[in-house]
Amino acid sequence: MANMASDATASAAWRARLSAYLARLRRQHIVWVICALGPIFLLFVLIRVYPIIETIRLSFYRYHITQRNRPFIGLANYERLLEDEAFHTALWNTIQFATLALVLTLLLAFIVALLLRSIERAAPVYELLLYIPVVTPWVPASVIWKWIFDPIYGVLNYVLSLIGLPKLAWLQDPNIIIYAIVLVSVWKLMGYFVVVYGVGLRNIPDEILEAAELDGATPWQRLRYIILPLMRPLILFTVIICTIIYFNIFAPVYVLTASAQGAPAYDLKVVITEIYQNAFVFYRMGYAGAQSVIMLLFVMSLVGLQYFLLRERN
Amino acid sequence: MFKEKPIIVAAYIVCTVLALAAVLPFGWVVMTAIKPAPEINAWPPSLFPHEPTLAHFYKILAEEDFLRYVFNSMVIALGSMVSILFTSSLAGFIFAKYRFPLRGVLFTIVLATAVIPLEVYIIPLYLMVFHAGMLNTFPALIFPFIIMTFGVFFMRQVIMAIPDELLEAARVDGASEFWIYLRIILHLSKSGLMALGVFAFSEAWAHFIWPLVMVTSKDMYTSELGLATYQRQFYIEYGPISAGAVICIIPMMIVFALLRRHIMQGIATSGLRG
Repeated sequence: MANMASDATASAAWRARLSAYLARLRRQHIVWVICALGPIFLLFVLIRVYPIIETIRLSFYRYHITQRNRPFIGLANYERLLEDEAFHTALWNTIQFATLALVLTLLLAFIVALLLRSIERAAPVYELLLYIPVVTPWVPASVIWKWIFDPIYGVLNYVLSLIGLPKLAWLQDPNIIIYAIVLVSVWKLMGYFVVVYGVGLRNIPDEILEAAELDGATPWQRLRYIILPLMRPLILFTVIICTIIYFNIFAPVYVLTASAQGAPAYDLKVVITEIYQNAFVFYRMGYAGAQSVIMLLFVMSLVGLQYFLLRERN
Repeated sequence: MFKEKPIIVAAYIVCTVLALAAVLPFGWVVMTAIKPAPEINAWPPSLFPHEPTLAHFYKILAEEDFLRYVFNSMVIALGSMVSILFTSSLAGFIFAKYRFPLRGVLFTIVLATAVIPLEVYIIPLYLMVFHAGMLNTFPALIFPFIIMTFGVFFMRQVIMAIPDELLEAARVDGASEFWIYLRIILHLSKSGLMALGVFAFSEAWAHFIWPLVMVTSKDMYTSELGLATYQRQFYIEYGPISAGAVICIIPMMIVFALLRRHIMQGIATSGLRG
């Protein structure tokens, strides 16, 4: 008897709590939230989350698009990666290219942003001009430079010859082409980072710098002990963004290097051109998947590193 | 920041040189596009054409349906922009202004994919389109660009700044949640939407590898793809190639000229890249 009574009160209490919960959900417009967010969230799962997971899964299969038989082969794709000379070259080229382009882009952008803060009045005009290459898509930008790099009639070699330097085969010499692509990339992206650094530098209060100046700090000391420490998080952010952009370099490499039609240029390999070749020329989706996973791991570890460095600071 | 004389002088010199380096290649390509063929391969090269001509533009437009390519790019970029503006503002609104179970988890899932570039997971995306038999169609070309992780994050930031009292007042007046989104949220986040719109447009316009793997016939080429393919086939004909490059650059330049203030402001508030 007593048991049943307590059961009844318990279930009544439970029902009351449930209805209170439902009322709260209604107050929070839960139906609207589900209807509005649900489809969009599903799109994110379909277009982002699922393909990323599927890439990892594919890398354990031999997956050729025209073959019905797609066996699970474990780590065989990865074992093959270890012996794939072309992929090693591509990875090494990408690392070289990305490091050089990153350092030049960010260093130049930082110097320009610093200098622009000293000529504040003229800064918007310079920022605008430097931003024009940023809004130019990669393909026309690369096409413009291909003509400038032309070994015989190119204007770059003309300028070199004016100052008495020998002509260079910018896109034909395997040792030089990487610098040519670095040059195009720095030209294309520097303006973006000038503007980003400009925003960060403008947020540094003038009073701090003026106080340091009154105390006799040289420009170098102000840079080293005030500006750089304050800019550290932004610099880290730009390093990550820039590394990801440069590791995914594809369009300028596609335009500026040799092609199936036999355009006269050296065939420089980078990671994305390798993935593109394997996946969409030879249709080895599984193997290209393994190469993509290497890229994925690289990007993720960079982001992890940034998170770690930023947290350590706080 | 620095008031020392030598630094200011150095600032003008360095910035002028770099700004010239940024802009001169455009001048050079325009000049090449309007030079008659013999002048292009003249040595030493001259900057201005002696007899300017539009022949290269006629040639490339006659040989290649470049206006069609530009139109295709426009359809893709506009479709992507409209979809991203809608999905980002709606999802941003929900994440900014409602409390619901799993909100943090869902938001983290959306954000987690932000830094992973499309190139990394392009294979399954391609296979999805391939198995649906949708290669070489506009929906397939727009498909990866109908949502933008960064857009959701950005619009959430913008909408969080809108005071809750406004929404409450509208609710007291009997407004539905959708009406609030349509009439209050969209209206008050206009400048954010503008910045995001320009960004989304230029991202979709400039994308290269996705159309490269999607398109199987010339009539679906984007302007990027058309130019890249043309310059590989006719690599010695710099006149028409330069004319093609000019045609490809003009739309983005118009967008930039009209909306530069919004673009610059977008970077200032969030690091948006235009």
